[in-house]
Amino acid sequence: MGSDLDRQIETLLECKIITEAEVKELCLKAREILVEESNVQRVDAPVTVCGDIHGQFHDLKKLFEVGGECPKTNYLFMGDFVDRGHHSVETFLLLLALKVRYPDRITLIRGNHESRQITKVYGFYDECFQKFGSANVWRYCCEIFDYLSLSAIIDDRIFCVHGGLSPSINTIDQIRTIDRMQEVPHNGAMCDLLWSDPDPDACTGWGLSPRGAGFLFGESVAKPFLHNNGLELIARAHQLVMEGYKLMFDDTVVTVWSAPNYCYRCGNVAAILEIDSNLTKNYTIFTDSDRNSTNSRMNPQREGPPDYFL
Amino acid sequence: MNPEDEELYPIAVLIDELRHDDVSLRLNAIKRLNTIALALGPQRTRDELIPFLDESIDDEDEVLLALAGELGDFVEYVGGAQFAHILLQPLENLAAVEETMVRDKAVESLNKICPALNQTQLEQYYIPLLKRLTLGDWFTSRTSATGLYACGYPLASPASQDDMRKSFGQLCTDDTPMVRRAAATHLGTFAKKLSKEHLISDMIPLFNKLAQDEQDSVRLLTVTDLVAVAEELSPEECKTYFLQTLKAMVADKSWRVRYMIADNFVKLSKAVGEDITREDLVGAFVRLLKDNEAEVRTAASGQVPGFAQLVDRETILNYILPCVKDLVTDTSQHVRAALAMKISGLAPILGKEATTEQLLPLFLQLLKDEFPDVRLNIISKLETVNQVIGIELLSQSLLPAIVELAEDKQWRVRLAIIDYIPLLATQLGVAFFDEKLGALCMSWLGDSVFSIREAATINLRKLTEVFGVDWAKQTIIPKVLAMGTHPNYLYRMTTIFAITAMAPAVTPEVIRDYILPTVTNLVSDPIPNIRFNVAKSIEALIPVLLQNPDTKPLVDQQLKPALTKLSEDSDNDVRFFSQKALLAAV
Repeated sequence: MGSDLDRQIETLLECKIITEAEVKELCLKAREILVEESNVQRVDAPVTVCGDIHGQFHDLKKLFEVGGECPKTNYLFMGDFVDRGHHSVETFLLLLALKVRYPDRITLIRGNHESRQITKVYGFYDECFQKFGSANVWRYCCEIFDYLSLSAIIDDRIFCVHGGLSPSINTIDQIRTIDRMQEVPHNGAMCDLLWSDPDPDACTGWGLSPRGAGFLFGESVAKPFLHNNGLELIARAHQLVMEGYKLMFDDTVVTVWSAPNYCYRCGNVAAILEIDSNLTKNYTIFTDSDRNSTNSRMNPQREGPPDYFL
Repeated sequence: MNPEDEELYPIAVLIDELRHDDVSLRLNAIKRLNTIALALGPQRTRDELIPFLDESIDDEDEVLLALAGELGDFVEYVGGAQFAHILLQPLENLAAVEETMVRDKAVESLNKICPALNQTQLEQYYIPLLKRLTLGDWFTSRTSATGLYACGYPLASPASQDDMRKSFGQLCTDDTPMVRRAAATHLGTFAKKLSKEHLISDMIPLFNKLAQDEQDSVRLLTVTDLVAVAEELSPEECKTYFLQTLKAMVADKSWRVRYMIADNFVKLSKAVGEDITREDLVGAFVRLLKDNEAEVRTAASGQVPGFAQLVDRETILNYILPCVKDLVTDTSQHVRAALAMKISGLAPILGKEATTEQLLPLFLQLLKDEFPDVRLNIISKLETVNQVIGIELLSQSLLPAIVELAEDKQWRVRLAIIDYIPLLATQLGVAFFDEKLGALCMSWLGDSVFSIREAATINLRKLTEVFGVDWAKQTIIPKVLAMGTHPNYLYRMTTIFAITAMAPAVTPEVIRDYILPTVTNLVSDPIPNIRFNVAKSIEALIPVLLQNPDTKPLVDQQLKPALTKLSEDSDNDVRFFSQKALLAAV
């Protein structure tokens, strides 16, 4: 394994960017690894499951302080690495570099923000352009997005996905048949997995999503899905939870959110879900890093939030 | 290709790239300007390159910024100081553009070049440039001009100096606040270049005018000017010229101005001298500590120990300390956090007795503050107090609070306490430590936060260094090893981390008798993360075992076979780390 890669990881850990040529090479290596992964990637416990990061690099470092650094701890990140935060580039490249260096210790699955259309609007494209002076890095990364797995399954018992369930999916095997190597479509199974939300009021089972993509799914959908597939829990991200995590439907669905003080202003705490080798679940809460906080009015040097904020 | 063409080739490439549609290529070309200049030689750089750069001024700020920076280091490429004035023309244009960053960079570069000019060049090129910028139609060039007076002044002729002081005065009374702000920013540096006579006759009236500007954004910038100018004057002169202005600024209706005063209070006091500080500034400081705005109180709190050093003990006890007592219960958490960071600085000034009587109760209160940053700040500065009153007294009064904080909800607070434990241990002695803190140190090993568990293992090594290997063998090592069979893999991980951390502090015999059995057991742990950390651990144990001829054979008998087994593991990372350990063991 190349010491070049270790050096790049060091650089990225300091929140500094690597060169465009290095990004290109990193993406080529990542592609070789990701192409081998299944749409439902098998993951062994113990593993620590994390939700949205959204370019909040300093908070990701804090996550590693709380959960342990990779490779000491195994990680599963459930998508939405980029957009909104100031450091989407460093965040995604660090996670990708760790994936290439320790493919068995870290799993990355796709979120709805890992898409060309969404990143053009919510910041990742602009950030790449600003930091590298060209859109090439954005192009390389978007290509990798298409290779990211759509979901993961921990010890055959815990199903992990960014958004939620789809009316076109009844069994895990159906997910395995999706051709995932494409931009996230506007409808259909692949879109729903990345966009859906659980909804306690969806009494008939399925509801229309206010997001305009994916569906709302109720308890009467979630429980049979678990039963039919021999599962005990659906872990997903996608929605801001002020308390960091939220259990629903008699603890059969959990939302994990890992971006504290989201967008540097929401005031929420973040959580990670640590699953040990006996599938015991432990939620650890953490707050934003000092770099994220906004407590002094007399500090004009702060990087001004770009206009796509909220 | 004939030699002529070959010579022209670099400039051809440059010109092509400078005109390229792609910004990154243009940027790249600018960053390689010195290479190109070197290839062209000084003559052609002066005759062709510089005029070209000046004419083809880019419209992309990023490129202009790079150009403004490069030109600052270009004196050697145009043929040395005697030709340095060639560079003024393009920089003058850059100093007038709209983007602030480009202008600032151009001014910075002009400041670099100016000292290289001789008097003739200065009079013939620099001063006219300064005049043009000062009289520019747009505020952009006038703003840039303010930053160019200080470096040109010393070498200018007396007649030019007179002009320069006058035209700087014009900038200080400019119609646009942007220019006045820039003038206020640079007044201090310029004033320091003037003779004292001119300073008093010309600069002080300008300063007073800016200090009373209608815009608070201008007034607040004059605080640093005040420091700079006061440093040049005698205490008597300061009193005559500044006292009124200073008092007015402390009572300014804009909190931002008061904030600047508060934030620079120690510097200001030092600049105006002891007498004025004692007679006139104590009241002002008290007023800032009691300000209505939390930001001002925060800034003033940060100045407390620094200011206390400048006044006598009585003043501290009678005027400052009562304010500090109020600030401990301030409604703003940021004020309390700033105070907690600085308050321990009072201990050395007050001495042992007053610290014990007056400050310790305040520390206790801050240690119990509901806002974690306050607690954290006070803990991180306890060292200073320790030096004054001694650990015994400190631990007697603070130990209960510290023990409470060791279980704080905020893990940053717990982490700060752990860092403090080895020092406490040195002072408390074994018996007292075992009784009060022993259990706590072990409980951190099972903390839910990784960083705490990690710090806890390092803490164990430090404790072993303090209390000795025999103590460790009896108290901590059995407990650490017992965790190695825990069903939760995180505990087993902690065992491995603790062993690795403690390896340098224990003896080869302890490793042989106690630690090795556990390590060899964990070689076949079902969790790959444990197995590759075992490999790392073995890598740390080997050098210790090699120290003793009795334990040396164990390396070949037990550890290397274990690593060999691990190097054939089914997991990629286990193989990697054990092969790495094997290489290190050779």
